Amino acid sequence: MKKSTDKKRELAIMAGLRTPFCKANGAMRAASAADLAAHVFREVLDRTPIRVGDIDEVVLGCAGQDAREANVARVAALRAGLPESVPAFTVMRNCASGMEAVLAARQKLRAGEGEVFLVGGTESMSNFPLLMGPRLTRFFTRLGKARSPWQRLRALASFRFASLKPRLAVVEGLTDPTTGLMMGSTAELVAQRFGITRADMDALALQSHQRAAEAQREQRFAAEIAPLVLMPDYRSVVLDDDGVRREQTLEALARLKPVFDRHEGDVTVGNSCQVSDGAVALLCMSVARAEQLGLEPLAIVRGAATAGLSPRTMGLGPVHATPAALQQAGLRLDQLDVVELNEAFAAQVLGCFAAFADADWCRDELGRAEPVGRLDPSRVNVNGGAIALGHPIAATGARLLLTLAHELRRRRARYGLATLCIGGGQGQAIVLEAA
Amino acid sequence: MNTTDHVPPPAAGTAAAPAPTAGTVALHIDDSGLATLRLGQPCETLVTFTRERLDSLEAALRLLREHAPLRGVIVTGPGPGMFCAGADVNLIRDVTDAAEGEAAATRGRLVFAVLRQLRVPVIAAIEGPCLGGGFELALCCDVRVASDHAATQIGLPEVKLGILPGFGGTQNLPRLIGLPKALDLILNGKLLRPKPAWKAGLVDRLVPSAKLLRAAHQELDRLTAAGKKAPPRSLRGLPFWLSKTPLRGLAVRAARKALDQGQARFYPAPRAALQCCLDAFTVAEERGFAAEARALGELIASPVSKGLVHLFFLTEHQKRLGKQPGAVDVARALVVGGGVMGAGIAGQFAERGVRARLCDLDFAALARAKARLQKSLGKRLAKRQLAAHEAMAVQDRLAVATEWGHLGDTDLWLEAVVEDLDVKRQLMARAVASGLPATAIIASNTSSLSVTAMAEGLPHPERVVGLHFFNPPEKMPLVEVIRGRASSDAAVATACRLAVRLGKFPVVVGDAPGFLVNRCLAPYLNEAARLLVEGTSAEAIDAAMLDFGMPMGPCRLLDEIGFDVVAKVSHVMHEAFPERMVPCELFAAMVEAKVLGQKGGGGLYGKNGHGSGPGRAVLARQQAARQTPPRAATRSELVHRLIYPLVDEAFRCLDEGLVAGEAELDLGLVMGIGFPPCTGGITWFARREGLATIVAALDELARTHGPRFVVADGLRRRALAR
Repeated sequence: MKKSTDKKRELAIMAGLRTPFCKANGAMRAASAADLAAHVFREVLDRTPIRVGDIDEVVLGCAGQDAREANVARVAALRAGLPESVPAFTVMRNCASGMEAVLAARQKLRAGEGEVFLVGGTESMSNFPLLMGPRLTRFFTRLGKARSPWQRLRALASFRFASLKPRLAVVEGLTDPTTGLMMGSTAELVAQRFGITRADMDALALQSHQRAAEAQREQRFAAEIAPLVLMPDYRSVVLDDDGVRREQTLEALARLKPVFDRHEGDVTVGNSCQVSDGAVALLCMSVARAEQLGLEPLAIVRGAATAGLSPRTMGLGPVHATPAALQQAGLRLDQLDVVELNEAFAAQVLGCFAAFADADWCRDELGRAEPVGRLDPSRVNVNGGAIALGHPIAATGARLLLTLAHELRRRRARYGLATLCIGGGQGQAIVLEAA
Repeated sequence: MNTTDHVPPPAAGTAAAPAPTAGTVALHIDDSGLATLRLGQPCETLVTFTRERLDSLEAALRLLREHAPLRGVIVTGPGPGMFCAGADVNLIRDVTDAAEGEAAATRGRLVFAVLRQLRVPVIAAIEGPCLGGGFELALCCDVRVASDHAATQIGLPEVKLGILPGFGGTQNLPRLIGLPKALDLILNGKLLRPKPAWKAGLVDRLVPSAKLLRAAHQELDRLTAAGKKAPPRSLRGLPFWLSKTPLRGLAVRAARKALDQGQARFYPAPRAALQCCLDAFTVAEERGFAAEARALGELIASPVSKGLVHLFFLTEHQKRLGKQPGAVDVARALVVGGGVMGAGIAGQFAERGVRARLCDLDFAALARAKARLQKSLGKRLAKRQLAAHEAMAVQDRLAVATEWGHLGDTDLWLEAVVEDLDVKRQLMARAVASGLPATAIIASNTSSLSVTAMAEGLPHPERVVGLHFFNPPEKMPLVEVIRGRASSDAAVATACRLAVRLGKFPVVVGDAPGFLVNRCLAPYLNEAARLLVEGTSAEAIDAAMLDFGMPMGPCRLLDEIGFDVVAKVSHVMHEAFPERMVPCELFAAMVEAKVLGQKGGGGLYGKNGHGSGPGRAVLARQQAARQTPPRAATRSELVHRLIYPLVDEAFRCLDEGLVAGEAELDLGLVMGIGFPPCTGGITWFARREGLATIVAALDELARTHGPRFVVADGLRRRALAR
């Protein structure tokens, strides 16, 4: 459908693999973000007929980089056996970091800065550190600078136990600093705006688990998972995502206490995404290059957009980003065969459903005369979402694309959308066309 | 003075430099009286002490002694990456007389001693191998500076050739670093990398390669400024107490204990070296040196030393197999089959820098492979032989998966699956269909199947070879490279190069049942089983073979291999050699009674090799079923029946063209079955024992015990020819 001149500007997803997504501080806790990414990078390289030297650049999303693995993209690339001459950089756009990596590759392609990219996202939320504050840093700096015994004594005397109070990176990372709201609290605001009830949220959470369980039963993830032998002693293997609860019931979900607003809230750990570890790698190249190499792509990026909105209702990000991505692709919402809309919170997913179809909201927030359209829930997250599979922050965006590409193939469908909300008040969306 | 650091122009300086012919030392003295003594000419990449080099060194040192003004001397190698690898092994080989050896040692030591007699500081600047005589020369210098170059290795490995450091090493090293550490180095022939060498005190300063000569000059200037020839040295702390006081008995006793164990008793050199090292602190200096030279003379003329030197040449030759034309480096390998062998081999690949992918359908096996590698890495991490990031890189190089992936840039595809020809052929066909390049090697780790048969019908059968590793692959030093009928020279050369890269010794063997090692092992193990059934105890058989010098008795070896494997292999061998290799009925009985050996909770010996195991009952039943009463064989009978057929079988392999020459037999059986290295290998043993004696004994055995002892024509001809 596109002109052949565009083939050099169109980015194709050729292949992809991911680690299983595992609950944080669980099976994969000993693996760092680089360990996970190096594994999937190597597997993608070993399994695709491309020479490592043909890769022009490596782009990896990571929201919580470990100090020991600064520019984790480069660390993972070298460890996966990519030549030292292939450059690598890390991108960070919170929850969209993995998707951002694909967009970075697309931008580089369009700028003429390379044709073949190894991209992805990695996150080891198990390894999010305890942080010691600046007071402790100052104490040690002072102690280190002290020369005379007297100075040293004075430095020691300046110690305060309060400076030992640790900060949890995982909690602070999930709190919006400009509004002071935790991510779950923003979901509560979305639920209030659209009158979403606890029962609606729990029903969506249950459906997520059921769909994921069915997908696992039918081995639908087998093509996208590269099992991982577990560090540090390598005695066991993790083959599949471990957050899916096959026996989940509505009753059990209903018993859970709200977390973010303990008295009047509806958002619980049961209807929120899980905190997980995982990594995804995607091999991308221009459509022209794929044709030249005689390789068949999984899917082609037809449209992409990123949008900003109020951090207080960041969960509605997909509704802000999707219209622009659709416009680029020349499509309407109802032409999408499959949609992956990240389940940060059930409340926020339901909020997006409502907002897409809400004429008032679309007018006030998007300035549109017409609502964006109705999103058919039966086409959204057909294999479950982050509530069941987990949300290793930077890995998720890439996983949505990977799962979407495979699902389009499986259904022999044509168009799909992957979109997610981003902490801090943004949304990102990519429209794929099956190749 | 820095302008002439590297290649001194021959005519420069005030003293005439010797003509730059290879094999001599190069002396250059500048106007300020600074002498640089290079142990070789710039064109040389290997420096050893030949007669010629010793002569030229002596002449150079005489020149130095008479030269004035002399400010200092820097002793270094001919160029980057080489200092001196010690005495020329050809010289060691050619000495046949104790007096000659003693005289050579005394002369070498007196030549080196001139460096000590000079009134100016002498600095050794070491980069590359600094071994044996090379290090003994460095020990006569006042200060040793070493570079961290990857090729730098320092030590006194003489005992590995059956001799001891004879140029003063047993006296000078203990005095420098104390008795305990010196004994550890000299008695084991240990070589140290730069950093451990620096920590052990073998060298005074460790510097980056590029700063080596600058550092040597600095040391020289420092001593000159202080008006001293040498820095003050004295042993302190524990090394002092364990060297210079009667407490040294503790160190000696510990060392002696190790020398009395196992195969060490066949090697006299470490014992002699121990006595010499002790002399360094207990007798007058001149007497100590004299005793060292005398001990060297005795050792160098001994058959053990001759045998070890012979094997040294063989190993050096095998290492060069990796450099044959057509050999290419294997950068990426795919190993199919995650069992003990596949996992071990893939782990070795990863450790030696080959990017390996291990594939198996069973993820539990793949995890075991990673765990096994991690365990061996963990040990090296604990010993600090490996940094954490290096261990991580090794694990990163080993990917494990059920999918083979794309084989487009695979250099070597190796299978280690069940011993089933059809399965192996199917897998090889699948590899070719999965895009394995025509230039890649297809290898099989088979121990009993025909490589030629595997290659049949494959496109490009010339790339198929056997790569027979032994269990466990991490430890066993031999790799049989099997040349099938279609195998190309290039494929064989590449396989050899890979084996050398893995730190193994490749032996190229023809494609015949059992190849070399299992072929020779079969009659040996078979006969051990017959002896058992006839009434000799397992302990007696094993003791006789241990006394012969084998690392492990045949009964214990049967337990280790497992009776199921032995039964299977002996069946294959029986089919190939129906008359000579009729399997002992004990094997089948053991398998039937489900006594498998150590992997199955004990065999002839109990679990973990202690006491007697469940196999004894099976054996007793076999003995009871015989008409003849049990009879224990004598010691000499045991050697005749176990070792002599091994000799016959080895020569049969040679005459059938399985191996290229006697060298391969010697090396293959020493590395493959642990034939005692002190004998110099099986053909050396046979010649010393007398081929005629062996033939006569086998003829007698053939008469009394049947056709399995019938001597091959080849061996008989050789025996008559002498």
